[in-house]
This record gives sequence, C-alpha cells and structure tokens, in this order.
Amino acid sequence: MPSKEEKTPNAKTETWQSDLERVGLFRRLFQARKWYGADWWFVAVSTVMVFGFIFVALFPRWLAPYNFDQIVGTSFLAPGEYPDLPVLITRTDSTIESLRDLAVTTDAERSVVGVIRGSPSAVAVNEQSQVVDAQLISEGSDLRLRPRINRYVTVPELLDAIVAGEVDAGVANVSELKQYAADYPQLRSGASISGGTATAGGFFMGTNNIGQDVFSRLIWGTRVAILVGFSSSIISLLLGVPLGLLAGYFGGRFDRSFSLVMDSLYAFPGLILAIAITAVLGPSVYNVIVAIAVLYIPTYYRIVRGHTMAIKEEVYIEAARSIGARRWEILWRYVFPNVIPSVAIIFSVNVADAILTGAGLSFLGLGMPPTIADWGIDLARGQRFIQSAWWLITFPGIAIMLIVLAFTMMGEGLMEIFNPKLRER
Amino acid sequence: MSPIALIVLFVSVPSLILLLYILVRGSTGLRRYILTRIGLTLPMIFILATLVFFIMHILPGDPITSALGPKATPEIVARVRETLGLNKPLIVQYGLFLKNILTLDFGNSLVGGHRPIIDEMSERFPATLELIIPASILALFIGIICGTFAASRRKSASDYSLRIYSVIIYSLPIFWFGLMLQLLFGVILNWLPISGRIDPVIGTSLQHVTNLYFIDALISGNWPALGSVTAHLVLPTLTLGLILSGVFVRLTRINVIETLQADYIAAARARGIREHVIVYQHALKNAMIPIITLIGLQVAILLAGAVLTETIFSWPGMGSYLVLRISARDYTAVQSVITMFALLVAIISLAVDIIYSLLDPRVRY
Repeated sequence: MPSKEEKTPNAKTETWQSDLERVGLFRRLFQARKWYGADWWFVAVSTVMVFGFIFVALFPRWLAPYNFDQIVGTSFLAPGEYPDLPVLITRTDSTIESLRDLAVTTDAERSVVGVIRGSPSAVAVNEQSQVVDAQLISEGSDLRLRPRINRYVTVPELLDAIVAGEVDAGVANVSELKQYAADYPQLRSGASISGGTATAGGFFMGTNNIGQDVFSRLIWGTRVAILVGFSSSIISLLLGVPLGLLAGYFGGRFDRSFSLVMDSLYAFPGLILAIAITAVLGPSVYNVIVAIAVLYIPTYYRIVRGHTMAIKEEVYIEAARSIGARRWEILWRYVFPNVIPSVAIIFSVNVADAILTGAGLSFLGLGMPPTIADWGIDLARGQRFIQSAWWLITFPGIAIMLIVLAFTMMGEGLMEIFNPKLRER
Repeated sequence: MSPIALIVLFVSVPSLILLLYILVRGSTGLRRYILTRIGLTLPMIFILATLVFFIMHILPGDPITSALGPKATPEIVARVRETLGLNKPLIVQYGLFLKNILTLDFGNSLVGGHRPIIDEMSERFPATLELIIPASILALFIGIICGTFAASRRKSASDYSLRIYSVIIYSLPIFWFGLMLQLLFGVILNWLPISGRIDPVIGTSLQHVTNLYFIDALISGNWPALGSVTAHLVLPTLTLGLILSGVFVRLTRINVIETLQADYIAAARARGIREHVIVYQHALKNAMIPIITLIGLQVAILLAGAVLTETIFSWPGMGSYLVLRISARDYTAVQSVITMFALLVAIISLAVDIIYSLLDPRVRY
C-alpha cells in the first residue's frame, strides 16, 4: 500500500527520497522521521529507554541507595512505609538532635533517657550508646555517653515524662509512637538512633523478606539483564551470521545439512533447551549466557541465509563476479553489508528475547547463582509472599517488561526504517 | 488402561486413519507432499534427540555424583552408574537412548518411588494438554478477531492501540503476568484459586478416566468437580492464552492487510459488496492459510510458556515435572521429558503442515 507521501509527491520529498537511496546506515537512521511521519517516536522513545537501561546497568552504584545484598531495614516494609526503627523523641524546644548530643563530660551528671519496658528500642539505646561512646573515645573527646535509662510501662507515660522534663529524651519505635503523635504537639521525633535510614522517608519500593531494599536490588539487577541480553546475543550473532552467509552463498550439501540442524533447533522451545543446558552446566551467569546464545543462533542463520540467497541473484553481484572479484571478496564487500540492516533488527529483538529467557530461567531457580541480584530470582522469591507483600512481585516484573519493551520497540522502529517495504509488518 | 494409552487411542488412531485416507484418496501432488513432510520429520526428531543426548552426556558436569550427594561412596556411585548403563561407552549409551525413544521406555526415576518415568509422564501429560488446548483456543480467538478488526480499520485509533497491545503483550514476562493475575483475582479479589487443578476435597470424588479433569468431570456428571476444575483453569488459561494472543493479533493483522490489497478484493469492492463481508469472509478466509503455518511456529512459544505457567500455578503437568526433576537432579527423567517435548514439537508441526497442505492446494512439492 503506497504511503501518503507517494500518493501526493512534491519536488522536495522526491529529492530526499532519491538522496536516501544512496546514503548509509547512520544517515538513514537520522532521516527516519522524514520517512515515516508518525512512527519516528517509536524509535525515539525506545532509544532513550535503551540508553537509560544501559546507563543504569553501567553505574548502579550511583543510582542505587544501597548495595544489593545489604540489609537496610526491617523485613516486609511496604513501599513508603516507615521502617519500624527506634527514634529519639525530644521536646520541640530541645537542642538535642541525636544520641551524641546527650554525651556529657565525665564529672557532669549523666543524662537520662526514657524507654518503654520490653520494647526492642530499649535494647537499641544501650547498643547504640556504646557505639557512640566508643566513637567519642577514639576521637579523643572528653565527652562520654553513658546515659541513665528510665523505664516506663506505656507509651503515654514515657511521652508525659519527656514533656515534664523527667528525662532529657526518650526512645521508642516508630510503630509505637504512631497513634500518639497527634496528642503531643510539644514533642518531636527525630532521626533514628541507629543510622539515617528512618529519615529517608521509608523505602519507595519497600523491603523484601530479609530486609533488603527492593529498589536497590532492582537497580543492580539491570546489570545482569543487560549483561545476559547483550553477551548472549553477540555470541549468537558472531556464530549465526557467518554460518548463514556461507550456507546462503555456497549452498549445496553444507547448506542442506546445516539448515536441517538449525531448523530443528529453531522449532524446539528455546526455554526448555536452555533449561536442559543450565541444568547440566550448573548455575552461573556465564552458563546462562552460553545456553541462551545457543538458542538464538538459528534466528540469525535463517534470516541471513535467506537474504544472502536473494542478494546472490542481484545484478551487482553478477557484475562483481564478471569483473573477476573473488568469492570471499563478494561475500565480504557486497553481500555482508546488505544483510547488516536485518541483522540489526534481529539483534535488537534478540536482546529482548534473551533477557526474557534469562529471567525465565532464574525464575525457575536455574541459571543464576542465588547470591546475585537478579529480577527473575527476586520474582521467584516474592512469589512465596504473594499473600502479604504485593510489592515484591510487582516491581521486578515491571522492570523486565520495560527493558524488553524498549528493545522490542527499537527492533520495530529499525525495521520500519531499514525495510520500507515491510513497513506494515 | 493407562491415560496415555487412552490419549493415543483417541487422538492418534483417528488422525492416522484420516492420514491414510488422505494418502489413498488425495492427488499425487498432495501424497508426495505429505510423504516428503513425514520424511523430513524423522530426521528432525533424530537431530533433536541427538542434541538432547549431547547436552545431557557430553557437556561437563557429573549428574550422578551430584544426584547422590557428597555422602555417596565411590562404590555406590559406580553401582548406580552401572544400573543406569552410564559406564558403557558413549556410543552404546547413545544407541540405547535411541532404542528407548522408539520403545517409549525411559527407565525408572532416580528419586521418589523409582517408578517408570513413562508412567509419571503419562499422568502429567493430560494436565499439560488441558492447559495448552484452551489457551491456544483463547489466543487464536482473540488474535483472529482483534487482528482482523485492526486490519479493517487500518491507521485508526483502534488499530494503533491493538498494535501497542501486541507489542506490550510480547514484552510481558509470562511468569510475571501470571503472578499479577494471581495477585489480582486470587489474593485481592479472592475470586479464583491460584494453584492446582482441582479443589483437593472435591478432587477425591472425581473418577480419573482420561486424566483430563474437565472431560472426566463432564462424562461422570460430577458438577461440583466440573465447577472446581473450571475455576482452577481460568487463571492459567488466561495467562498463557493472553500472552500468546499478542503474536496472533500481529500475524492476523499483517496477513489480512496483505490479502486486502489483492486484486480480487478490489474487484469485490467494485461490485459493491459490503465492507464487513469483504473483510470477514473474503479476506479473512484467505489470510487464514498463512496464519495456520505460522501457528506451527508458535508451538515453541506455547510449550515454553506452558512450563512457566505450570510452575506458577503449581499445575501438575510436564513442565512442572521437568522443573521438579531438575531440582531433584534426576537426569534420566529430565532427559526423557525434554525428549518428549521434542517429539511433541515435531508431531505438532507435522500436523500443522499437513493441515496447511489440505487447505492450500498451491503447496506441493
């Protein structure tokens, strides 16, 4: 079906169209918008996404708040939920901001901290005071933190005591304070006494069953997805393209036997083959890459072989042959450049497929070693807690979907640019 | 009678009779095509089986030592190797492996009750069938209706949204999609069960004839069981069916668009035939021919999807059996299941190609 531009030709479009017949790969990419008015955003959006993901994969350290295996809070915190950490409660007019401010010189009277009997926060006060005290000693300060602990039975009793000035400060868990916070406008709860995490405003994707930050694991997981996607696709490209070129160009017995093997491999469910290979090789990122690479060799082989067979019949190949070009030269200089566009399309879609297969493998508990940050592993672990923690299975899946979508859309866009005849496919 | 024997009876005997009928009554061209196609299937099965054997036996890694664990003494390892025939030369093992495929006797399971693997598979195979058949029907239904609709309203908003639908569906990890459906319908709304094939209490009352629970409940008139089986089927079918539907929407759309450009469509339009008759009767019917061949290529996606779907929904089919046996390190069973999958792929694509040749008289060798 002819496009609108072709129906109503004007001088301008005709010039660039004829120009474009002669330009190379990159010019064609840049001219894409002119080719297909409505579809260029497909390429634009996907390119931004692809480069975004590659950036995240290269620099997870800058983007992730925590390391992927770091335990940063209590387990099963919902997204945005404040971790149940012990916080320091003081009067609003008090100058005390942290435990350290409670330190006094050895001859002064020790400061008093109120806690709730039996609450985990009481233990935290003791432990944390010792840490701060040790710090002060190592810094050579003459201040010491050895607070006297006053124990109260209920939260209101503790809060009343702070208001009355019986204690210098109180410590309680966030969850214990929640329901009374509104009744005591003259009090404020400050930072967590055991580090800064409580002030961060919770974890925006929550924490998992062992208290790791879901968001950080997501960021680190990008690395594995990109690594598996790209390396396996590159390996299959490096094997599939030359084989396809040779089989398509020389034909004969070599072509027939290879095609039979490749077609059988192509028809077989890739995931199941990858399952078999990783099951035998054992879990490691490299084994997953090898397993997936094997699966996608036929994809390149088939397309490149088909193209080569078509190109072989073109007039310019005939011409090259007639002026005495050698077979390898023809293959390398005239056939190969012509298959590059279709290889680029398959590569993009192939990366998407490889990421999906890799995630599927690790979801099944095969492939990736359990210590690694990987989306599939996180999903499989999250499935056990589907009844209580929706965020564990939601976010890694969205990440997989977005990255696959980015590469698939890029493939679609490339197809439209390189292959105007297939535009509607 | 074992379930697998029943399936063999109900599925392969009629299709073999049909095949023979076609071979006897069909034209010479058709006969030649079908015979050549069957001739090509055998090397395909052989290549796939060889590939499986290669993967399981030649790749580094010693399955027996890892299956028996660190406590096994060398004598025990040697004994197990001997009973499994793993101490024989590789070429002998390969011959035995091929013989096992021909006789469908895969030996006994290494773990569990040490039952014959073929028995375990025949119990689970109907479960996989019960999942992939409705899922494929759903996918085809959505794909053909939506694809034709998109093609008939090309470049409209609905066409673009259906295109975006098929791209997004293609990018969805099936296991995540299944989990999301479980979360929505099983946990938040609490409408549907999220695992298994039937409620365990109701399940005790069901007679297992074919092991296709839906059929079993239907023929024995066990209505509560039928309800339970249907409820358990909904989410797995939706998961697999919707994921597959993306490809079918795409395929149908392209093929109908291509057909709509044919001269006979222009002729039909010129004669003033109504547009929906042209699209849904003239164009769709002809577009169906290439769609059917492409369905054959989707078998791989279907089976890979089934493995993941079964794992998510604790569906006791072949896929979850494969995963189970891998975690138990029972490599004899793993090898057998994968070989069965290979046989399945080869047979389905053969069947699709034969159907294609019947529908399209142009396809002949």
